[in-house]
Amino acid sequence: MSLSRREFLGHSALALSSLALAPEAFARKHASFEKLMEFKPYGNLTLVFISDFHGHLKPMYFAEPMNLLAPEPLKGTPGYLAGMDFLKFYNIKPGSVEAYMGSCVSFIKLARMYGMTGGGPQVATVIKAIVNERGRDKCLVLDGGDTWATSGIAVKTDGMAVVDWLNYVGFDYMVAHWDVTVGKEKFLDIVKNKLKAKFISYNITEEPFGDLVFPPYDVVERGGVKIGIIGSSFPFTPLANPRVYTEGWSFGVRPDELQKYVNELREKHKVDLVLLLSHDGLPLDIALMKIVKGIDIVISGHTHDITPTPVKVGNTLIVSPGSHGKFVGRMDLDVRNGKLHGYRLKLIPVLSDVVPEDKGARELVKKWYAPYEKEFNTVIGTAQTMLYKRDTVFSTWDRLIGEALADYYHGVDAVMSLDVGTSPGFRWGTTVLPGQRITVEHVYDVLGMTYPEVFIMKRKGRDLLALWEDVADNVFNPNPLYQQGGDMSRIYGVEYELKINTKQGDRIRNVRIKGKPIELDKEYLVAVYGGPPPMGVQPEKKNIREIVIDYIRKKKDVHVDRKPNVKVLDHPYNTDCYWR
Amino acid sequence: MNRRKFLALSAVAVMGLAMVPGVQPAHASTPRLEEELKKRLGVSLAQIKEVPDVKLTAPTIAESGANVPVTVESTIPIERVEHLWIFVDKNPVPWIADVKLTPMNGQVFFSTRIKMGETSNVRAILKLKDGSYVMATKEVKVTAGGCG
Repeated sequence: MSLSRREFLGHSALALSSLALAPEAFARKHASFEKLMEFKPYGNLTLVFISDFHGHLKPMYFAEPMNLLAPEPLKGTPGYLAGMDFLKFYNIKPGSVEAYMGSCVSFIKLARMYGMTGGGPQVATVIKAIVNERGRDKCLVLDGGDTWATSGIAVKTDGMAVVDWLNYVGFDYMVAHWDVTVGKEKFLDIVKNKLKAKFISYNITEEPFGDLVFPPYDVVERGGVKIGIIGSSFPFTPLANPRVYTEGWSFGVRPDELQKYVNELREKHKVDLVLLLSHDGLPLDIALMKIVKGIDIVISGHTHDITPTPVKVGNTLIVSPGSHGKFVGRMDLDVRNGKLHGYRLKLIPVLSDVVPEDKGARELVKKWYAPYEKEFNTVIGTAQTMLYKRDTVFSTWDRLIGEALADYYHGVDAVMSLDVGTSPGFRWGTTVLPGQRITVEHVYDVLGMTYPEVFIMKRKGRDLLALWEDVADNVFNPNPLYQQGGDMSRIYGVEYELKINTKQGDRIRNVRIKGKPIELDKEYLVAVYGGPPPMGVQPEKKNIREIVIDYIRKKKDVHVDRKPNVKVLDHPYNTDCYWR
Repeated sequence: MNRRKFLALSAVAVMGLAMVPGVQPAHASTPRLEEELKKRLGVSLAQIKEVPDVKLTAPTIAESGANVPVTVESTIPIERVEHLWIFVDKNPVPWIADVKLTPMNGQVFFSTRIKMGETSNVRAILKLKDGSYVMATKEVKVTAGGCG
């Protein structure tokens, strides 16, 4: 899209002036519920879907990343489009609802104008409205996983508040990733006894003989169409999360088995349409669909990408509906005589102030929140800098967490202070606007692991470097089949240069720890959390949430240095998109 | 897009391609591997042909380097096959398995679990009755962990 400077300025001017008058009125005027829902019905079948809800039953702010650093062959492709690149690629007008929902551009200004996004009652309203309009027998309601974990309410209720909501809304199928971290037994209990949606996954098998743990697929009829739906849970769950949650299970990307199930659905079950409900991540699904043939549509979760139009690979359409309840996907399909003839897609933006709350869902959320409201709403400080989580290498939330660790472990054993604090590159979390109060719930939402333990250990410079190179290869490998779909670990106390397009062992350069060049044989004191527990290290007494809450309380007014500790050598790196 | 812009873009694309290491190419060998191949097969890697009718199934990213499932199968008739080896280029000892095949096996199919110390190419090599060698190669990544 070509937007002239004048046009752009026009938009910003409009935004600014309305801000001064009545921001809410502006947002409501320009984004009515009817407008958000606007959709010309099409064909005989409707897919309604969300993914990566991350346990957010209440509205929130969630800023899309300023950067999605890509290895050269993937640059400029869906999965790696941030900010203006995203807006240009999808022809979205800066300042519009779609621009606010899908990009970092002028996020602070737009957030004040359009307000929070998502929320269980709001998402319920959108889904129920679509289902009512089309008729239940024509709709398939899908959830792409990362649903009942990683938020305050999810942690407090072992995921059950969200499971209750899923049942209330009436989802048909789902897959998993973080959902297993409620604990293997609890997870199995939910899936088998509590959850009304069917749980399907072709890529979870028992070790060592390979028996399927869950049905790999299901066959269902909607709108006179016989649908085969295959589930794929996050292939690298045993590596990304502590092994205890998936003990005895094997996951993985399995193109041959997937192809076998597609063929089985087509030949044995004679289905009209084959769907893949996937938590593989968008880049990996794009790569996988070049290998596996015969899937009509992939609903792709995990990487939180937003695809206003589907990615086409051969005859397969891949759609990724974003995260944190920001969008409900609606895809109307025309399926006749065993063939997909056409589609119409919209990712419906869930503006929390514009979409009315569903009454039943609101009651449900209220009930589950009641015991925790007081704790969650406790104000611990004020954000003077915008606190965000998403980015490939750096975020203000992660720097704040690093500062908290360094402060807490200052002078640990009278001799040493913390040298390095690493924060995992999760893509979930929350955003706090400048001037907004920080509550206990915000800390839960950005650190909502069921395993919040901190580990302190001594590690040699060379071992740290090897570890960071390993993570960097999981992020920057040019072949998506060898990526894990997360962001780079945030490394506090360390400055380094990053070269993306080179081999493992050569990406992290000129490392300085506490301002001095790294010494390979020197031992450094390192704090880690949020990953598989390091072997032989006992967890600390205080967990990461407690450390961060105490630190914010101590600081009261939270200013965070926005300057990244990473210099990216071979890729543009944006640092002011939110503030424009 | 005009011609000039297109050419400029293609130049960038080609350059990018040339600079990017990608996965390890199948023909890239290691001295340890060559030594083992010489010792056990009597040939060098360059003399072994990569063919599509040998199939090696292994994870792209291992769930644990201590336990990597590997399956070798082939559509080449068993009567024409004499021997099967599995090698891991970067293991301290690259030689993993050595299987003698006879027509009694029915078909070429072998499934096992192997140990891998680090990210490496895994190779399944068949010796055919006519004295030639064929193989399949797959890179398996061994990682300490990652991010969610």
